[in-house]
Amino acid sequence: METIIDAHNISKIYNKESIPVYAINQVHLHIEKGEFTALVGPSGSGKTTLLNLIGGLDRADEGSISINGEEITQMSSGDLIDFRLKNIGFVFQSYNLIPVLTAKENVEFIMQLQGINEKDRIERVKLLFKQIGLEDKMDYRPSQLSGGQQQRVAVARALASRPQFVLADEPTANLDSASANNLLDIMWKLNQEEHITFIFSTHDQRVIDRAKRVITLVDGRIVSDTNQVPINH
Amino acid sequence: MLVIISMAWRNIWRNKARSFVIMFSVALGIFAGLMVMALYKGMMRDRIKALIYQETGHLQLHNPSFKNDYEVKFTIDNLANVNNLLTQNRHVKKFTLRSIAQGMLATTNGSAGLQINGIDPASENNCSELNKKIIIGQVFSNQKKYEIIIGQKLSKKMKISLGDKVVLTFTDHTDEIVSGAFRVVGIMQTSNSAWEERNVYVQRNELNELLGLPNGAHEIAVILNSNEELPVAMMDLKSKMKSVLLEDWKKLSPETELMVDTVDITSYIIMVIILIALAFGIINTMLMSILERTREIGMMMALGMNKLKLFVLVLMETTFLTLSGLPLGIIAAISLSNYIAENGFSFGANSEEMMRKYGFGTTIYTDFAYEKLAMTILFVVTTAFISCLYPAIRALKLNPMEALRK
Ligand SMILES: Nc1ncnc2c1ncn2[C@@H]1O[C@H](COP(=O)(O)OP(=O)(O)OP(=O)(O)O)[C@@H](O)[C@H]1O
Ligand SMILES: [Mg+2]
Repeated sequence: METIIDAHNISKIYNKESIPVYAINQVHLHIEKGEFTALVGPSGSGKTTLLNLIGGLDRADEGSISINGEEITQMSSGDLIDFRLKNIGFVFQSYNLIPVLTAKENVEFIMQLQGINEKDRIERVKLLFKQIGLEDKMDYRPSQLSGGQQQRVAVARALASRPQFVLADEPTANLDSASANNLLDIMWKLNQEEHITFIFSTHDQRVIDRAKRVITLVDGRIVSDTNQVPINH
Repeated sequence: MLVIISMAWRNIWRNKARSFVIMFSVALGIFAGLMVMALYKGMMRDRIKALIYQETGHLQLHNPSFKNDYEVKFTIDNLANVNNLLTQNRHVKKFTLRSIAQGMLATTNGSAGLQINGIDPASENNCSELNKKIIIGQVFSNQKKYEIIIGQKLSKKMKISLGDKVVLTFTDHTDEIVSGAFRVVGIMQTSNSAWEERNVYVQRNELNELLGLPNGAHEIAVILNSNEELPVAMMDLKSKMKSVLLEDWKKLSPETELMVDTVDITSYIIMVIILIALAFGIINTMLMSILERTREIGMMMALGMNKLKLFVLVLMETTFLTLSGLPLGIIAAISLSNYIAENGFSFGANSEEMMRKYGFGTTIYTDFAYEKLAMTILFVVTTAFISCLYPAIRALKLNPMEALRK
């Protein structure tokens, strides 16, 4: 198997001056290509922090993180922006899309930032909207889409740049269970058919049940890391 | 880049009311600035025109020593020759001779020091539109000797009316004091009340007689074909007339030249002040809009939008916001300015005195300063750029992770 994330002994410490809070405490993490991994744990356990660290949005205070063999802990913030653009797809909990752009333009935007030509962009946008089942809503503004539809567009956008992996911080937190299921179906299908790596944090047991691997965090430490047979139909 | 421009354009319409307020302010500010410029330019143009065609002419000739003390004996040398040269010069359209004495005007009510100008009525009418300035009476009747034209200001001040007799006292070319009684035949009103109070007109031959200078003249006022020919004409005449002092209207009326320069600078200063005021509005609006979009901007940075592109986005938004009002302001200013250029704009009767004191007519005709339009647009673009800097820095400083947590 191919390792895409290799985090070694990473820590993130808040309040260093007074009483230090270890949001992430000496964590080792290996993610291989094609994983479908859930990050779980109680509120405040460090899920968002860990995702931000491996996504290059936040800097670790200790340890090293390499993505596809490239060390990101020493990168300048400008290089990190470029690195994120090229290598990582993001799906946030809410407020994912740029409101003034249509669904299609939101997806295209990432490719425009990457400098991909128009012909390739249009082709890819078509394919992605087919995969998320929103071909008929491509020209809608985010405000005209439901929360679930917006998250599906966000998944399409995350994939637009053909990233190494997709990080999703509680992507279903604001969705009803039908929409959440639908989103997971799409993610699962992409994982199965295109070997897209997904790492998502969640509180929702039904979402946890659909992961192939479940990593549990408590107080910034990994307390369990298990593979399971996902319930995906 | 195109997507960023299109995003910027859509972003400014997210809060329509706010954007409209800014655009309207910009339009109003530009309009006001351009109107001030047009007003100033029109006023200056008319002031210079009045100065040249009603007062000094394009240039004047004097004996080089005359202006030191205005001594009567310093008449223009070789008058016949000078006269000839002027008649033949191709730049010169017309000219008029004057004799000048500094003296005193006395009536039963009192006396005033002033300049007595001896003129040839026909050529004076021609060169300084004297006949048009007479509001009561006429130029000279030529039926009687010793007639005088005085200014309205002086007539009011000293309660002199048409037909009254006044006594002029001055020194002749041998420094002897002479005096003569003159009858007022005309009262003139000029656009310069200060001048009007200190000058009277009599016939040149009569003044010359009293001065004992049969054919002399102290001053020649020259009107050229156009103001553009002034520098060439000056050079040309200077080379041919060694013993006369040649001065153009700028030299003759340094206060007018100073005023032109000052007004030029003033109109720029007014523009800059207007733009500074606008800049604060723009900065405020852009800051608000950045603050409202903290999460959105954080999200774009997280996704991989680099700082340059983010800066361009903020810059474009500011530019659109600023420049949108610009055409409206320009069009409104050109329209109103053209209207006033045709129909004039009258300051009420109250300000008439004040305007005339400084040599301005009471009706102002604007002259749109097209030559300053490019500069104005450049100023506005610069304002947009400067105004975007602070909001842009605030946007660039956002930490995507923290912005997303909000
Ligand atoms: N900017 C910060 N300053 C101080 N402490 C912080 C900061 N951000 C996070 N923390 C702390 O770090 C710890 C981990 O937070 P994190 O947001 O990663 O938890 P989480 O597992 O994502 O929680 P949730 O399930 O509520 O989203 C918490 O104790 C939190 O209070
Ligand atoms: Mg979280």
